[in-house]
Amino acid sequence: MTVVPPADESAQVAARVERRWATMSIVIVLLLATAAALIGLQHATMPQGRVETIDAARLHLSGEFVESNLGTAVEPDGSVTVRAIGQQYSFVPDCLLVPTDTPITFRATSPDVVHGFLIVGTNINTMLVPGYVASIRARFSNPGEHLMPCQEFCGVGHEGMWARVKVIDKAEFTRLSAGKRRMSCAD
Amino acid sequence: MLTSRRLIIAHFWLAFGLFGLALLLGAWQMLMRSPLSGWIENPEWYYRSLTAHGTVMAYVFPTLIAMGFGYAISESALEQPLIGRRWAWAGFWLVAVGSVTAVVPVALGRASVLYTFYPPLIGNGFYYVGIVLAVVGSWIWVALMSINLRIWKRANPGKPVPLAMFANVAGSYLWAWTAVGAALELLLQIIPVAFGLVSTIDAGLARIFFSWTLHAIVYFWLFPTYIAYYTIVPRAIGGRVYSDAMSRIAFVLFLVVAMPIGIHHAFMDPEVGAGFKFVHSVFTALVALPTLLTVFTICASVEIAARLRGGRGLFGWVTALPWRNPIMLALAFSFVMLGFGGAGGLINMSYQLDTSIHNTQWITGHFHLIFGGAIVIMYFAIAYDLWPHLTGRPLASLGLMRLQLWLWFVGMIVTTFPWHWVGILGMPRRMAFFDYGDPALAPLAFSVVLSVLGGFILVLSGLLFLVVLLRGHRTAPAEAGPYRFAEALHPPVSVPAVLNGYGLWVGLMIALTVSNYGYPILQLAVRSDTAVQAVYVGGSR
Amino acid sequence: MKRDGWTSASIGATAIVFVVSAVVGFILLPLAQPHLGLTGLWDAICSAAGVVSRPSPAVEAPQKGTTVVMTPNMLASADAQSIGRGATLAHQCAICHGPAGISRADSPTLSGQFAPAIYKQLKDFKTGARVNAVMSPFVVNLSEQDMVDISVYYAYLPRLPSPWRTQDRPAPKIVASGAPLRGIAPCGSCHGDLDHKVGSPWLGGQSAGYFRGQLRNFASADRHNDINEQMRTIARRMTPEEIDEAALYYSGEAGPIQPLPR
Repeated sequence: MTVVPPADESAQVAARVERRWATMSIVIVLLLATAAALIGLQHATMPQGRVETIDAARLHLSGEFVESNLGTAVEPDGSVTVRAIGQQYSFVPDCLLVPTDTPITFRATSPDVVHGFLIVGTNINTMLVPGYVASIRARFSNPGEHLMPCQEFCGVGHEGMWARVKVIDKAEFTRLSAGKRRMSCAD
Repeated sequence: MLTSRRLIIAHFWLAFGLFGLALLLGAWQMLMRSPLSGWIENPEWYYRSLTAHGTVMAYVFPTLIAMGFGYAISESALEQPLIGRRWAWAGFWLVAVGSVTAVVPVALGRASVLYTFYPPLIGNGFYYVGIVLAVVGSWIWVALMSINLRIWKRANPGKPVPLAMFANVAGSYLWAWTAVGAALELLLQIIPVAFGLVSTIDAGLARIFFSWTLHAIVYFWLFPTYIAYYTIVPRAIGGRVYSDAMSRIAFVLFLVVAMPIGIHHAFMDPEVGAGFKFVHSVFTALVALPTLLTVFTICASVEIAARLRGGRGLFGWVTALPWRNPIMLALAFSFVMLGFGGAGGLINMSYQLDTSIHNTQWITGHFHLIFGGAIVIMYFAIAYDLWPHLTGRPLASLGLMRLQLWLWFVGMIVTTFPWHWVGILGMPRRMAFFDYGDPALAPLAFSVVLSVLGGFILVLSGLLFLVVLLRGHRTAPAEAGPYRFAEALHPPVSVPAVLNGYGLWVGLMIALTVSNYGYPILQLAVRSDTAVQAVYVGGSR
Repeated sequence: MKRDGWTSASIGATAIVFVVSAVVGFILLPLAQPHLGLTGLWDAICSAAGVVSRPSPAVEAPQKGTTVVMTPNMLASADAQSIGRGATLAHQCAICHGPAGISRADSPTLSGQFAPAIYKQLKDFKTGARVNAVMSPFVVNLSEQDMVDISVYYAYLPRLPSPWRTQDRPAPKIVASGAPLRGIAPCGSCHGDLDHKVGSPWLGGQSAGYFRGQLRNFASADRHNDINEQMRTIARRMTPEEIDEAALYYSGEAGPIQPLPR
């Protein structure tokens, strides 16, 4: 037989237990938020730092996303910039070529509707919103090939919007890139 | 004291009828894009179906449940007949007409833009007008809930508002405010373009407006479920609500922190600054708080029931619970799915982890588990609990109800777990078909087939549910007595004024919306150079 | 807790959460990322708030592609006068494109074509983005209005049906479903059978020879007036057999057609 304490006392016990749990919940939540901040301070993946806009309808006329400027470019400091377009219903270039062990910046945008930029098997993932430039930094440690589907519904041909990313050894990439302005898997 | 039975039944039947149709569409979609079917010859049909499925399941179905349940709560918790019943019918018809208006262009293939809209894709204007009508209908409900409470308060000065009604009105206020985001997107941006008044639209701004609605709408879906946790379950299993005050705190916390967190859907978007993303991420962590409090209060309330039934021991009391009671079963299933779904949610809300699964099938799995699973299974429980009071006839077969709930639970797990898994493998969402023959996608095939089986189980369960309700209209009449809600362990004699009203919480909700959304919206709203050309779908062929 | 204590405690706690998260999100986190090249505290706050910056259009590479900008409602409505003028101007086109816009040679059929698609090609011939020994000279003397008139005239003529809906024979796999993992969407998702992307032509009734030739030219980039390489990207990934299948299918000419595998 359970001893039932008087109502007042029971209410106090209930309140005490409850307060303890509430405190614990708050601690859990604070822990989560702090973890996000700390990981951020450790230079882990962070959302892109600046909002950049661009004239979506005139990408092909001027600016960094003109045809001749798409693909992989080696920067003076040895890092690599990859520029790409996602459009109904393909990526250009449709196979991105990148080296291992090199800081890489992907810069991409859309001339028409919202698309997604996802490199399968990595945490490289961003939205391509027309009118805005998406920019993410990455680094590949292993050579290999990744699928790169559009991950946002972009119209009736969405299911056909798949590209690839080819990661090659840094030395081979350096050899291939000699004398080339922009590269893709076709080079 | 349910006097508006016809009104409430109309809401529930329209909701569950549409739910049944959308469920069939969902299962068909899963089959079509799986290895069990050849590639669909016209992928447009897939997106058409997906648009209808999403529009019904996300907007119409839960809104009608919240409205119907809300009217039932208002009448039975306040023990006063619904004031403004005619207006309530007007709201119902607005939702019904709005749904038809929206679904017709979708069925004709003129608005296959998916329920998330995502301009600059623009479908037929009547699709959007239909959704606006449905939302306006639901706003009538919000106003009625507020008016009914105010009249009750005037008649009962100083008395604590019954918990069910307190939560119900909180949910209606949350909906009123969170729907404003999508309403602004539709009225200011999309509808003018859809009817050809302008031909450009800021896609980034539209995404921010939509995120304003997109996350808090989940809590609006959740409110009937949480109200059932707190006020139906303990009564149905013979327990007490552990703490009235803590329950109120959980509901007002939702009001405050459900809103200013929507940009976590835009972590990967280029149009929002990283600072706002971080602030939203922190507030998203806070939204776990009311759920953690709820888990405690409900477990404690259930334990009370078990101990009153003679349960003993640290955990031994679990066996003393009335497991043959469908409401108990639904609660247990709901909690399990909420647990898994919540754990997945922690991954989505973190910037760093979200990048691996953003917009993959993981996300589809996540919200089906939370909404289709944890939330909807309690909608079933609400209907089972309320039906005898609405029809004046008992529901005949507890066994059938238990079977239905089991099937829903198993079906949902079998559907969503493989989805989570293929999401981790990088399978994107919303595609009409996949080339499983390619070695790169072949490893997905088995999991996808498994999830289709889950989908079929869900269809079976959904049909069974409708059968139970239909049979409930045919049994011999037997008065079910007044509809009551669970009592608190220590019934409140008086409640602090802030926990008996909403002023402070609505104030905080609006203030946080302004602080967390103000600048991102204003900045893009005043710029003209971020607008892009509309891309009309389903137009000239 | 006292009644008034609730109000100040809630507002205070909310404010603290907001201020702390804002300090971390707008100051500490941006400053911890050296690659952003921030110039100071104010720059950090502005960048985190998302104050818009425009990338400098530094790259001004020589362009040999199209200069046309497509807009959603371009040439959507045409008056009778414009169509009439187009009919007169079209006399000079009839030799190759047929008196009713239905070609009997390997030049494109134009009747019922989408007006923006014709207009874009005329513009591209005029600017030299697209070159054809026979066609290019005809465009030299066309004014802007002439090109509009011709386009809306041909769009006004009745269209040859795409076999998609009118024939019993199934579309080949490459037409109906594309090849997803090669980045090829169903042809109809742009070309009008399923949905229409402004500027993309209707393909029904084109001669197999013209169709095949253009796809090959796209694949080799001999033809390069497609905006943002949208057609070259696809043509490059098509096999010669697939190009043949699509050409024969859309032309309605007989040929070995692969049934759609189920």
